[in-house]
Amino acid sequence: MILADITISEAAAIGLVIATIQFATLLYLAALGETIAERAGVLNLGVEGMMAVGAVTGYIAGAVSGSPWIGLLVGALGGALLASIHAFVAVGLGADQVVSGLALTILGLGLADYIGADYTGDSRRAWFADVDIPVLTDIPWVGETIFAATPVTYLAALLGVSTWFVLNRTAIGLGIRAAGESASTADAAGHSVARIRAGAVVVGGAFAGMSGAYLTNTLVGTSWSQGVTAGRGWIAVALVIFGAWRPGRVALGALLFGFTLALQLRLSGFGIDFSPILMSMAPFLMTIIVLIFISYRARNKPSPAPAAIGIPYRREER
Amino acid sequence: MKKLVLVRRETPTRGGQPAAFVAGFILALGLGAILLLISGDPVWEVYTRMFERSLGSKDVMSATLNRATPLALAGLAVSIAATMGLWNIGAEGQILFGATAATFVGRIGEDWSGPVLIIAMLLGGAIGGALWAAGPGLVRAELGVSEIITTLMLNEVALRLIRYLQNGRWKDPEGLLFPVIEPRPVQSGLGTIWERAHLGVVIAFAVVAAFAWFAKHSVWGYELKIAGASPKTAAYAGISMRRKVLGVMVLSGAVAGLAGGIELTGTATRLDVNISSGFGFAGIIVAALALMRPSGVAVVALLFGAVQVGGISIQSIGVSSAVSGVLQALILFGAIGAGVLSSYRVQAVERKVVAT
Amino acid sequence: MSHPAVELDGIWKRFPGVIANAGASLTVRPGTVHAVLGENGAGKTTLMNCLAGVYRPDEGAVRVHGVEQRFSAPADAIAAGIGMVHQEFRLVDTFTVAENVVLGAAPRVVSQRAIAGEVADLAQRFGFEADPARPVWQLSMGERQRVEILKALWRNAQVLILDEPTAVLTPQEAVEFGNVLRRMVEDGRAVIFISHKLDEVTSFCDEATVLRWGETVAAGVAIADVDVTELAALMVGEVEAAPSPDRMTEPGDVAMSVKDLTVDDARGLVAVDDVSLEVRAGEIVGIAGVAGNGQRALTDAIAGLESPRTGAISVMGIDVSDAPPQKRFAAGLAYVPEDRLGVGLAPKLPVAENAVMRAYRTLRRGPLLSWRAAREYSEQIVERFEVKVGRMDLPLASLSGGNLQRLLLGRELTSGPDVIVASQPTRGLDVAGVRAIQRLLLEQRDGGTAVLMVSEDLDELLSLADRILVMVEGRIVGEFDAHSATRTEIGEAMMGAPS
Repeated sequence: MILADITISEAAAIGLVIATIQFATLLYLAALGETIAERAGVLNLGVEGMMAVGAVTGYIAGAVSGSPWIGLLVGALGGALLASIHAFVAVGLGADQVVSGLALTILGLGLADYIGADYTGDSRRAWFADVDIPVLTDIPWVGETIFAATPVTYLAALLGVSTWFVLNRTAIGLGIRAAGESASTADAAGHSVARIRAGAVVVGGAFAGMSGAYLTNTLVGTSWSQGVTAGRGWIAVALVIFGAWRPGRVALGALLFGFTLALQLRLSGFGIDFSPILMSMAPFLMTIIVLIFISYRARNKPSPAPAAIGIPYRREER
Repeated sequence: MKKLVLVRRETPTRGGQPAAFVAGFILALGLGAILLLISGDPVWEVYTRMFERSLGSKDVMSATLNRATPLALAGLAVSIAATMGLWNIGAEGQILFGATAATFVGRIGEDWSGPVLIIAMLLGGAIGGALWAAGPGLVRAELGVSEIITTLMLNEVALRLIRYLQNGRWKDPEGLLFPVIEPRPVQSGLGTIWERAHLGVVIAFAVVAAFAWFAKHSVWGYELKIAGASPKTAAYAGISMRRKVLGVMVLSGAVAGLAGGIELTGTATRLDVNISSGFGFAGIIVAALALMRPSGVAVVALLFGAVQVGGISIQSIGVSSAVSGVLQALILFGAIGAGVLSSYRVQAVERKVVAT
Repeated sequence: MSHPAVELDGIWKRFPGVIANAGASLTVRPGTVHAVLGENGAGKTTLMNCLAGVYRPDEGAVRVHGVEQRFSAPADAIAAGIGMVHQEFRLVDTFTVAENVVLGAAPRVVSQRAIAGEVADLAQRFGFEADPARPVWQLSMGERQRVEILKALWRNAQVLILDEPTAVLTPQEAVEFGNVLRRMVEDGRAVIFISHKLDEVTSFCDEATVLRWGETVAAGVAIADVDVTELAALMVGEVEAAPSPDRMTEPGDVAMSVKDLTVDDARGLVAVDDVSLEVRAGEIVGIAGVAGNGQRALTDAIAGLESPRTGAISVMGIDVSDAPPQKRFAAGLAYVPEDRLGVGLAPKLPVAENAVMRAYRTLRRGPLLSWRAAREYSEQIVERFEVKVGRMDLPLASLSGGNLQRLLLGRELTSGPDVIVASQPTRGLDVAGVRAIQRLLLEQRDGGTAVLMVSEDLDELLSLADRILVMVEGRIVGEFDAHSATRTEIGEAMMGAPS
């Protein structure tokens, strides 16, 4: 009954796909960063804060310089800088990761609001233009949607493939995964757990910062406003679990979550009588269901969750 | 070649935690000052104003007490779960859903007398919070599903649920500019007891004290302690972990939900998404600073209440109230750093390796 | 060959409250298997951790092939050609065998097929069997040990440290293991073999160093020219005589019976396979077997910590098959679990909280618990069982192993149980502690209590038990009269040979 009178024009459908890809890019960057940190054994609940700092620093840098690339770079630096606090406190000092991560979110949101206070409503802006790929962009439908994205989408895809490659096909990746599964094993094998974990957290922060910069340099009409991240950092945290800590599955999850975000803005336009707000709950509820499923299956075989996640590691313990 | 490492002290420094807390506070003020200086805000004026407008007079002190109320309850909720090694990251959602449930009761009991309605609404809040935490507690107890993630996810769901009600079922027909929920019945307002401080302050601190006492002197508290210290040992002693996990999560949720009910009847006139200004998250920091001890939770909540009330006051001199959030997080980071240094010392060690 | 492979010179290592090494020294020649002998707590593992870069010695010098080294991390020791196989394996369960082997020493770009091939080659060279593509969580303890050794060989370790490697092997597997060791030292490697089992040392090793109380009491003696009893005396110092197992009373009626018990482990595999047994009042029944053959699941199921798939358990004629742990205790069943600090006690809590763990239900007043009564109760246990505690309000973790076990046993015995199930009750204790616990168990037997005792120490079972049951892969495969059975007979049964 809900689907009784759906009328979707081709333009609206193309718009939906484009928005899906945009939201997926945003979520994927942040979730990929969190995936790296968690695979190394560090839960970082500061994604929302790192995204906010990336959003404000990325916006300011982009607006002032006029170059969205500089915005993206500065956003990544901002995110990485904030993440380094978590790396120092939760990895270096061995404090509880949950507490430190949540404090990071509070700090990041606070800092972003404080820094951004003077830029609210600023009219300067820099934005990423869509990439025009010869031939591909001319393909009907596909060209107008998938091959009409901004460079950041391709960058996100490239980072996803690179992350997969590093995690699964390199010596460093073996060390990262070992640090996340059994820190003492990684240590005994000669990897520096502290360095791996701190590195993963900082890189994760850079990705979240990039995601924030993408948000303010492309997605929301290229501007900064208080609360611009709007809980999307939490969706990214959910996405990591939804994608079972694997870059590829996280990408599929990002498309699905991105679709729900894109669709909820268009429900009434499509004549679908379903509350967009209820729909916005979907990513969180789906993640809970996936998590329950994972835990249920983990009775017979090892869980896909990194076994050492959340456990601080310090060697000389006795 | 020298390398710096942390070495555990043979005996931890005396009075570690209060000292670490003070050190964290000082460090936070210092870092905050640097931040203010960089952006050209008047440091001294900001800090003195924050102090005056939170602790400088009876009137503002009562506002601080009101603000400390949900922080103390959220902090208690977190520390109750933590006694068993559980992380309730969902106090925020439980506060929101508690307030939603209290609003629901208020809509039913529109015509009831004030005291009856208030009690019913507060109970409704507690039950709502308990229900919101029961799901995560149940799947944790039965399947071992991480309560960290489930409670976290439900925060976002509770937030959206209020937005949904605001735009639909509970929309106030008289709200013209943007959708709001109908105000709660007027007679459901908690009375004030001292200046602006409302009755909820007493309720909250009584709940904190009651839990602290009961946990120490009851069989239940003892069983909880064992379950928290070592789940396998608890199973050995015949303590049912499943029931304890569920029970503790429900109680934790009820305490947070009560905070939602108190906020609704004490400081708000209607339910909206801002009824909890991040109290659930701040409560986690409060509990962590208090080392999960209820008595400590009360003290830290009062301090955080003051920082938050002071933070709001600096908006009028043109400084963003975001400073308060920054300070709260910095206090925690500073205290963690100082806490680690009180039980470890930094040592330089020599390193020399010759590959063979 | 001019320099020794390893020289440890005057190593001191202190931990809060403990001096683990007090100027210990060790010299190992290349091409030899060198035993490091000592009792539990003598500082063997700590000394080896100093060599392997896990700990930094407070004082003393570490020389490898004549070059002085200061390691600040295991990576440093690995770079210097030292490999250590710890007692608790350091393996990543979800990784394959090959991934575990190359971890930390992998080619920059890792191809699964390439590393699997290379690891298979390496294993073959030393006569190991290993499937490089299998995930480690599917392997047995013995197979995991081989992965650990392969790890060290992969890094071309010139010095291989093995910490009590035979604990997870049957006596016969241990003999085969000795042959592998010989092959490893043939081309000039040195193997350091940590043990407290003298018979293994005499059959596998060339030289031995003995540690006691963190000091070296005998350095580099050649096994060929030393008397075994002399080594034993060096190891334990002044030895208290073993308690005499002579009995005062004869076994009485059946106190506990287990019928057709089958228990699945967490992964759904059979851990205990159709076990039936009886223990009589005033009798000690021993369960022998290599670690990991279902002993833990058996005792846990009897105590009610594990729910069996099928089977019945009764204590003093009462069926307790479905009863929760505290009901079984009330029926007269006391349990000393293998994992004392993880299951039997809560080390983060103080003495009183641990001491009343069984009795608090009787000390309650309504919903409240009287802490005064609880403290008095625990003081009685501490006094009667001679537990040495510093301050009653400090966490248990500060107590020594022997005192922890006394407290645990005291708590279990103080209510006068009819049946005691004790799993590895003396493991990890020093000689005085072992003797005290053994004496307590014999006293209980003489008092008419039925004792079911699991131990990996065959000699202990032979001296204390009346009957010995051998457990292999979850089954009871043989029963022996402890007074007439020989080590060899039981050892064969432990390998699964028909008896």
